Amino acid sequence: MDRLLSVENLSISFRTDEGPITPVQGVSFGVDRGRTLGIVGESGSGKSVSTKALMRLLPGSASLSPETRMRYRAKNGETVAIETLKPRDRALRRLRGGEIGMIFQEPMASFSPVYSIGNQMIETIRLHRGLGGRAARDLAVEMLAKVGISSPETRVDQYPHEMSGGMRQRAMIALALSAGPALLIADEPTTALDVTIQAQVLDLMRDLQRDLGMAMIFITHDLGVIAQIADEVAVMYLGTIVERGPTREVIRRPLHPYTRGLLEAIPAIDRLDARLKPVPGDIPSPSQRPSGCPFRTRCPEAVPGLCDRAAPRETAVGEGRAVRCHLHDAARAAA
Amino acid sequence: MARFVLERLLGMVLTLFLVSIMVYFIMELPPGDYADRFAFRKYSGTGVTVTEAMIEEIRRDLGLDRPAYLRYFDWISGIVLRGDFGMAYSFLTPVTNVLGDKVWLTLGLLFATLLITYAVSIPIGIYAAVRRGSAADYGLTVFSYLGLALPNFLLALIMLYCANRWFGASVGGLFSPQFENAPWSLAKVWDLVKHLWLPAFVLAWSAVAYQLQTVRATMSDELNKLSVVAARARGVPETRLLVKYPARLAINPVVSTIGFDVNRIFSELPIVAAVLGLTELGDLLLKAYLDLDMNVAGAILLMLTTIIVVMNFVSDLLLGWLDPRIRMGA
Repeated sequence: MDRLLSVENLSISFRTDEGPITPVQGVSFGVDRGRTLGIVGESGSGKSVSTKALMRLLPGSASLSPETRMRYRAKNGETVAIETLKPRDRALRRLRGGEIGMIFQEPMASFSPVYSIGNQMIETIRLHRGLGGRAARDLAVEMLAKVGISSPETRVDQYPHEMSGGMRQRAMIALALSAGPALLIADEPTTALDVTIQAQVLDLMRDLQRDLGMAMIFITHDLGVIAQIADEVAVMYLGTIVERGPTREVIRRPLHPYTRGLLEAIPAIDRLDARLKPVPGDIPSPSQRPSGCPFRTRCPEAVPGLCDRAAPRETAVGEGRAVRCHLHDAARAAA
Repeated sequence: MARFVLERLLGMVLTLFLVSIMVYFIMELPPGDYADRFAFRKYSGTGVTVTEAMIEEIRRDLGLDRPAYLRYFDWISGIVLRGDFGMAYSFLTPVTNVLGDKVWLTLGLLFATLLITYAVSIPIGIYAAVRRGSAADYGLTVFSYLGLALPNFLLALIMLYCANRWFGASVGGLFSPQFENAPWSLAKVWDLVKHLWLPAFVLAWSAVAYQLQTVRATMSDELNKLSVVAARARGVPETRLLVKYPARLAINPVVSTIGFDVNRIFSELPIVAAVLGLTELGDLLLKAYLDLDMNVAGAILLMLTTIIVVMNFVSDLLLGWLDPRIRMGA
C-alpha cells in the first residue's frame, strides 16, 4: 500500500482558564494515496481538532504531546515530519494548500466577503502553481467549470454573497483543488447544505477524487454519508478512535457499542413506524473524562468493575480492523 | 457603484438642506437680535435715550424686521448662488472677509489631526490585536485608557510646557510673528506645518485612544474568523494574510466613523484653541455668539456642519469602495 499520511499517537492539549484539557488522546490513523478515510463522531469528539493539527492550524494555546508523529509523503518524494515544522517554515506553507487542501463546514464564512471568488482562487494558484496573470485566471475558470458551476467566466468575478449555498461550497472545493493538493481534508462539507444539494456535492467530490487521484479525509457526524464516500472509517469518541476498519465491514458488523448506537440512530425510510433510537446521554466535556473507558457513562453494555477501572486497549480484529472495547476483549478471551 | 454614489449624494444634499434650516433656527434662538446690540453700541456713552422706535428703525435698516422664513431664503440663496454669507454686523464688512483664511486653517488642522489619528491608531490597533495578551498589548491598552481619561486642554498645557522647556519651540498660535500677516509663500507654509503638529497631536490624542480600541477589538474578532483560518490553510504567508484578510475588514468601523471623529475634533477645538492661542473658527464662533453677530455665527456653524456632512459622505464612499457588500446593496 502507498501510505500518503500516517498519524501516530496524536495527543492535543489546550491551556484553558479551568486548567489543561486534552480533547485528543493517542489517536492513530493513516490514509493511502487515492483513498478516502472517513472520520465520524459527535461534536466534541475531537475529529476537527485532529485534522487542524495536521495542518498546524491550532491556536497558540494548544500543544502536541512529544509522542505525536505525523508523517506526510510529499509530491517530491520527501517525507515531511509535520509535528516538527516551525510556523514560518516554507515547507509548512507548501504543505498547507499545495499538498493538503482543506474545506470547511461553512462555505460562506470560509471566503473573505470583500474579495471576489476569482481573487482568492488566483492567489492560491499563484502561491502553489507558479502561474500568474492570464494563465492563473484561466485555471481558476477551468476549476470552477470542473466543479459544475455554470458560466464560470462570469462567476469568477462574483463575490461570495452573490452565490447560493450549494454553489459556494462548490466554489470552496474549486478553491481548495486549484492548488492541486494530493490530500483533501473535508470538515463536514455537506452539513450546512440542503439534503438534495448534499447529495450533489457528495457525488461531485467522489467524481473529482476519482478524476484527480486524490486522497481524502472526510469528517462527518453522519455514518450515512460515510457509507457513500469513504473506503475506510474511524469512529471517534471523546478524543480517541474506538473502532476502525473498511467502511462496508464496520457498517455491516459494528463491534463497538458506540458504533452500533450511531448506526441505530440513522433514520431509515423503510422503518417509518419505528421510533428513532438516539445514543442516550451527552458526550462528556473533555475536562470531565470518565475513568476507564470514556464511553462507559453512555454504554448500554458497560460492565461495572471492568469498564470504569482501566481504559480498553486497541485490539486488532482481522484485516485492517481494530476496536477499543473491554467487551470485545472479554469475548475473545472466552473464545 | 454609480447608483450607490447617486443615492449617497442625494442623501447628502437633503441633509445639508435640513442642517441649514437647523443652523438658521439656532441663530434665531438667543433672545434679542443684533439691532439691540447695534443701538447699544452706537448710543452708549452719548447720553441719548434709546427708544423702541429707534431700535425698530435699525432693525428695518438691517432687514431684521422681515419674517424669519424670508430671511432664511435670502440667506441660503445668497450662500448657494453667490457664495455670499451676508454682512458681519459687528465688523460692518461681508462675513467672507471676516472668515478669510480661518476656514482653510481650520480645515488644515482638521486633516492634519485625522491623518495623525489614523496613521497612529490603525497600525497600533492591529499590532495589539495580533499580539493579544502580550506586554505590548497591555501597555498600549493602559496608554489608550489614559488617552481617553486625560482632558485635552490639560494635555495641551503639558505639551506647551514641554515643547518650550526642552525644544525651545514657539508653539502658540499657528504662525510665527513674522509670518502672521505675510502673504502665502513656501516659507509660510513650512512655518504653519511647524506650528500645526502640536495642536493636531493634542486634538488627535483622544481620537487615537478611541480608534485604537475599536481597531483592536474588530481585529481580534476578524483574526478568529473562519476565512482567516481558511486562507492560512491555503498557505498564504502570515504577514500578507494579516493585511489582506483580517486587517482589511478591521478598518471598516474606523472608516464608517470618520464623521464622528470630525465631530469630536470640532467639539474639542475651541478649548484647545483657547489654550494654545490659535485664532481659528472656534474662537470666532464664541465671540460672534457673544456679540449676537448672527451671520458670522451662522456661517461658521454652517461650514462646520457641512464639513461633518461631507466627511460622512466621503466615509460612505470609502466604505462602499472597501466592501462590495455595501457597494452592491446586499
